Amino acid sequence: MNKNIIQGKFIILYILAFITINFPSIILAQNSSTATDLSKVNDKKEIQYEHKLLWGERFYKLNLNSLALQQFEKAHKLKPGAYFPQYRINQLHVRLHQPKNTQIGDVVFDFNKPGILIAGLIIVILFSLVSMLVALITVLITRNKKIKQERYIQTLREKFQTWLVDYLFSKDIDQEVIGKLNSNTSAKLNRKILIDQMIDLSVTLTGIEKERLKDLYFKLKLDKDSYRKAFSRKWHIKAKGFRELAFMNIHTADEEILRCLSGANDILRMEAQFALIRLNTDNSFDFLNHLEKKFTLWEQLNVYETITFHQLSLPNFEQLLQSKNNSLVMFSLRMIRVFKLNNTSNALIKLLQTHPDEHIRNLIIQVLGNLKIYDSLPHLKKIYKNETYDNCMAILQAMCQMPDEEMLSFLKLVLDKEDDVQLQIEAAMAINKMGEKGSQTLTKLLNSDYKNYQIIIKHVLDKRIN
Amino acid sequence: MDVFFDILAYIVNNFVFGLTVIIFTSYLLLSIISAFALRNYLRKNSFIDYNNIILAPLTPSISVIAPAYNEEKSIVDNIRALLALYYNNFEVTVVNDGSTDSTFNTVIEAFDMEKVNYFFDYRIPCERIRGVYKSKNRSFKKLTFIDKVNGGKADALNAGINISKSQLICSIDVDSIMEPDALLKLVKPFMEETEKKVIGTGGVIRIANSCQIENGQIKRINLPDRFLPRAQVLEYTRAFLMSRMAWGKLNGLLLISGALGMFDKETVIACGGYSTTTVGEDMELVVRMRRFMADHKKKYQIIYIPDPLVWTEVPSSLKILGRQRNRWTRGTIETLAKHKVLFMNPRYGIFGMLSYTYWLLFEWLAPVIEFLGLLYFVLLVFLDQVNWNFFLLLLAFVYSFAVSLSTWAILFEEMTFHKYEKRREVLKLFVMALVEPILYHPFTVYWSVRGNIDYLRGVRSWGKMEREGFKNNKKGKTVLSQS
Repeated sequence: MNKNIIQGKFIILYILAFITINFPSIILAQNSSTATDLSKVNDKKEIQYEHKLLWGERFYKLNLNSLALQQFEKAHKLKPGAYFPQYRINQLHVRLHQPKNTQIGDVVFDFNKPGILIAGLIIVILFSLVSMLVALITVLITRNKKIKQERYIQTLREKFQTWLVDYLFSKDIDQEVIGKLNSNTSAKLNRKILIDQMIDLSVTLTGIEKERLKDLYFKLKLDKDSYRKAFSRKWHIKAKGFRELAFMNIHTADEEILRCLSGANDILRMEAQFALIRLNTDNSFDFLNHLEKKFTLWEQLNVYETITFHQLSLPNFEQLLQSKNNSLVMFSLRMIRVFKLNNTSNALIKLLQTHPDEHIRNLIIQVLGNLKIYDSLPHLKKIYKNETYDNCMAILQAMCQMPDEEMLSFLKLVLDKEDDVQLQIEAAMAINKMGEKGSQTLTKLLNSDYKNYQIIIKHVLDKRIN
Repeated sequence: MDVFFDILAYIVNNFVFGLTVIIFTSYLLLSIISAFALRNYLRKNSFIDYNNIILAPLTPSISVIAPAYNEEKSIVDNIRALLALYYNNFEVTVVNDGSTDSTFNTVIEAFDMEKVNYFFDYRIPCERIRGVYKSKNRSFKKLTFIDKVNGGKADALNAGINISKSQLICSIDVDSIMEPDALLKLVKPFMEETEKKVIGTGGVIRIANSCQIENGQIKRINLPDRFLPRAQVLEYTRAFLMSRMAWGKLNGLLLISGALGMFDKETVIACGGYSTTTVGEDMELVVRMRRFMADHKKKYQIIYIPDPLVWTEVPSSLKILGRQRNRWTRGTIETLAKHKVLFMNPRYGIFGMLSYTYWLLFEWLAPVIEFLGLLYFVLLVFLDQVNWNFFLLLLAFVYSFAVSLSTWAILFEEMTFHKYEKRREVLKLFVMALVEPILYHPFTVYWSVRGNIDYLRGVRSWGKMEREGFKNNKKGKTVLSQS
């Protein structure tokens, strides 16, 4: 029973829904003028007349012209003097005898709407149909093309790899390999694959082999490809060119790379930075001194990766701490932390006392804690009361990383006087890190009746949490 | 009186036609913007090595927060998948929102968890926390399990935010399957932040029905076998690749799906966390965060990533899908009503002038107008006032435009992420594009109207969402069941 009801509902819903899908069609399809006046119908003949008119009009609108003509002719017989049936009969004769490809939206399709609207709709319909077909064909063609291309690239890659290894490690077949490579790199795609292969290989090589690879790059005139790319108008091609030149250590486009260091495109700017660092000129990191835009964390991360991957010598981060560009100061602080540059401690403490930016001060505090610069503890204690909430938190966390019994009374004071639970937790954690004395202090506080620290101290003492 | 009706009909006709033209034009414009944005994204992405992020020491910390309610069947696999995400600086917080099944015991046993003496700070109000659990096994030290009194998804997320120690929070549906590199892709825009503060990022949600799943990870992508999920594939592709991509580009995105989103924790807390009084908490949070930033005159942006980052099971029965869409409609209305001050408000820029207005007119009102149109049409049929020729022409106009939009969405997918490998599957999608306006769209209109009615009736419940879940197939693999 229930199922039948549900099925019934479903059918009704479906019928309604089917009609709904094209709501504007439905609404706009209202006929703006009514041809017949059904009022004052009294006798049977009149009813028949109106009936014929009604059906005639329906057939007329559906373009069923012969049927419409029949209905209007019958109506005309019933009321020979009436104007409307005669008018429609004339129109239908025109319709029936007119060639089919007349003006769209005019006579064959009597839409009873402005021609421009009809034309517009038809254009959209045609455009949609064509675009549908284009999309379908593109998808199918692209699929096949992609599959074929992937296979081709894979085969070529394997070939190139073998030849490159032969070239690098069997000196007597140099010319033979160059000949093979030359004959296989006339197409743009092939050269691209070869360049990518050579770049991948260059990363793993050092010394003579790397030089031989570079030499091959020149012999195959691939450097010209990279140079051309470096001067392309399209940013993504330019960036690719920079990358290729940097990996192969070719300096022909250094000026262009320098020019792009201040560009608006973030990827191009970053590729220029990496290229410059990889090319390892005397002023590899010089761009940092002239950087006006924000040096994003992403750029920082990539520069860090480049430094560590290529084992490059570090720039003078202590000097960069004085930069007016806050993002550069942050970068320097991060690098000081990562590379554990403890010799910068004095500069860090000085900067902590003078820098107006709270976020930078926060990072300095973190770095001091990470590097365990104990000399900074009195300074941290001193600035605590005037610092922001986040920085107070950072100070307590730094103290946790640098346990010092000298700080015990200060931390107890924080635990006692602060209203914020998170600060209390951090202070208790710092106390707990002080070894025996810290643990004893916390145990005393735990059993003390003075204030109820039980939940906080239990939290801190639970080693499973932190 | 006749004159009055003639004038009324004239106004209605022209209003609806105008609205239709605006909707279609906006779809077209959004598609064009999306196409350019996608091309740019893919070009940029070709220079990115996400591996750089995995081990780098400079990455921001992330708390992945997964609320769970009656997820006993899949929770263990899903938590394992979360713990295996590619990132070095993250923690996973699973919040058991008062499940009535064995979710709690399953997690406790599977991960060898015990209650810890956690001091829970209710920075954002949430229901009472019954306990915080950590694993005895150090391999799971990234995992925190919260057991709390039931309060709904938003409430569970707030509990997770309260416990988070990270700079960023990533909210996910625990029954969704994240791509292993999802965090890398979501975090990158935060790292690229310049003058504008990045307050949120979201990505594409794909449909996992019929896909082969092993250990909580997608192993083989298949097009859903059944009609409704397949129709939703097309719907999601259109929405994510053509619409949200463009709104992201315009910095006008109003919705980061609850299935996966990453947010700046500081901003979320400053805004008061997720709202527990709406059923559309994901959209409401984004709108509130945007308002907060604009009110405080801070430059900000919300970034949309077109990569498929999370896979989710969509309803495959009319009943459940209807409930979901009903809830989405109510959530939209609640959010729009709560933030009505945004409407055409130049103070909020594109967000107020364009995004809000778009959602109001097209996401909320369009289905209602569509439904009223049907009623009007029925009336016209009874009054024999229908110009059938013109009706058929308009039908062809709307239908062909709708289908062509869907085919372009398929093309976008093919040219970008190309997730469906079999040619047959793409052809099936094309067939779906042809039938979807007739066999699927009317239902979405109906559910939307029901959502409006339920909203007016004061219905505020989430609605029971039954999922079919993961079941073993004959090959011994796990598929998202279609039975």
